[in-house]
Amino acid sequence: MPQETAGRRDDESQVPLFGTWPRIYGAVVVSALVVMMLLTLFSGWPF
Amino acid sequence: MAILTAGFGALSRADWVVLAVYLVAIVSFGLWMGRGNRRVDDFFLAGRQMRWWAAGLSVMATQVSAITFVGTTGQAYTKGMSFLAFYLGLPFAMVILSITLVPFFYRAGVFTAYEYLERRFDARTRTVTSLLFLLSRGLALGVTLYAPSLVLSVVLGWSETATILLMGGATILYVVYGGNRSVIWTDVVQMGLIWVGIFICVGVAITRLPDGFALRDALALAQTTGRLETMDPSLDPTRPYTVWSGLFGGMFLAMAYFGCDQSQVQRYLSGRSLTESRLSLLFNAFLKVPMQFLILLTGVLVFVFFHFHAPPLLWNRAELVRVERAVPPAELQRVQSVFEAAHLERRAAAEAFALARHDGGDESAAREGYLAAGRRLDEAEAEARRLAESVSGEPYNDTNYIFPTFIVSQLSGGLAGLIIAVIFAAAMSSLSGEFNSLATASLVDFYRRYVRTTASDGHYLAVSRLFTAFWGVFACLVALEAGRLGSAIEVVNKFGSYFYGSILGVFGLAVLTPSARPRGAFYGLLAGMTAVFVVSQLTAVAFLWYNVVGAVTVFLVGLAITAVAPGPRPAGTR
Repeated sequence: MPQETAGRRDDESQVPLFGTWPRIYGAVVVSALVVMMLLTLFSGWPF
Repeated sequence: MAILTAGFGALSRADWVVLAVYLVAIVSFGLWMGRGNRRVDDFFLAGRQMRWWAAGLSVMATQVSAITFVGTTGQAYTKGMSFLAFYLGLPFAMVILSITLVPFFYRAGVFTAYEYLERRFDARTRTVTSLLFLLSRGLALGVTLYAPSLVLSVVLGWSETATILLMGGATILYVVYGGNRSVIWTDVVQMGLIWVGIFICVGVAITRLPDGFALRDALALAQTTGRLETMDPSLDPTRPYTVWSGLFGGMFLAMAYFGCDQSQVQRYLSGRSLTESRLSLLFNAFLKVPMQFLILLTGVLVFVFFHFHAPPLLWNRAELVRVERAVPPAELQRVQSVFEAAHLERRAAAEAFALARHDGGDESAAREGYLAAGRRLDEAEAEARRLAESVSGEPYNDTNYIFPTFIVSQLSGGLAGLIIAVIFAAAMSSLSGEFNSLATASLVDFYRRYVRTTASDGHYLAVSRLFTAFWGVFACLVALEAGRLGSAIEVVNKFGSYFYGSILGVFGLAVLTPSARPRGAFYGLLAGMTAVFVVSQLTAVAFLWYNVVGAVTVFLVGLAITAVAPGPRPAGTR
């Protein structure tokens, strides 16, 4: 069974969006917080 | 007296055609996409060539089982949307995994998550964690197949055996032949179908509201009953779904499931690069909570829908037939009359509530009137349930039957068939990933590790297919026997929750603490599982917290043992 050699697929530097990985992770965290805020609004909204 | 079961509806010819087309098409597609497997690498990791969106949809599809789909809508119908808290920690878990475990798995070039533990610690830790995965996932597989088969058998009027064999057999067929490539591509189609189904259900539930009763009125009505509550800030650790249990317990559970459960790890290890793999997880971080929100909202809208359409006395048609046969007609007629009167009263109260909102009447009094009418209907429903329990001698719960009953009785023109196909898709997408991952762990962590350490790729590929078939047949056998296992099935279902967090703790030790030694990891794992068992037996702490208890115990005990009595160094390197 062939196995991948270390490093061949280690594409840490390839960042598809926002320039750096920390920014992508930041975007996920911010979006999660926004969703939680929207859910809080939804639950208490005076329909 | 067959009056009670008259309103359940039945599938039309168009529905059966849609369902049949789905089954034939998905099996054919799975076989087509799975052609050309030459190596084990192809069979288990799709040649490591998957794009992020395909692997991401597969990750999502593997997690959404049929019972998640029908059970979650039923739960929203009966209790509201508080279950959404379960997913609050998931986006944060995806970020943590993308930073920590995923790069380690990639750089190690492993097939299974547990294989990495041997390189980091020792064979003993790998074998125990992989064995725990095989035991828990293997047995839970039967439940994954049995639960939707039971519901569908009642709704479709088939035998349980027929639904189990159809669902299990169709899935076995394409996974045995095509391996992970078939799993992922069929998951992509099935997940697309599930999304379409969710939007159709939300749309139908909204459009079937009565004239003059807007979506806003429906939401106000649901809000009055507390069903729109999603963010419970309570600090009580015994409450199952709070913001805190969801954020912390849910985050640990998601890290354990997506990071240490081979059925998920294998999906994203098939990405063509580390970036693709990370993006597949982050894709889920964005979509999972909105998706669950829509599924729960569907359940809430179905709840409002049945204010204006007569619901059955019991949602489980098979139980209702048993009750009709066993209970004296006069008694049954009395219970049914009370139920119908209470339903009409609640309907009138709901209309009065909407009228008061529109015409500026006394909204507060209308709300109180509606809630009082709702309580009377609850009492009538409770009496019907007691009747069912007196006939069967067992606790009665029909939450999982609400949504399928809504589909079959209210949708037409092939739509009911399409949504039943969506339920099949949800079941098959979970089963396929699990068959494939169980076969991988069996082959890589046991057969290749202990039985045949060297052999040709052709040999391992053939054995991989045998293992896949074995786990598929095993799932069908467990599902066929599940009805007789009774409460033992619940034990099996909870089995995994006792050590999920503990396994996460071992992986945490592996990647976060360079000094951790094999002895600390192994005895830490045992200590974590013991701690969770003690907490579950001696306290009323909600189950989401078990994952935190297990992971933290393993981590601290592992570090302590490493500091006090470290033992030998790991055989491999990080």
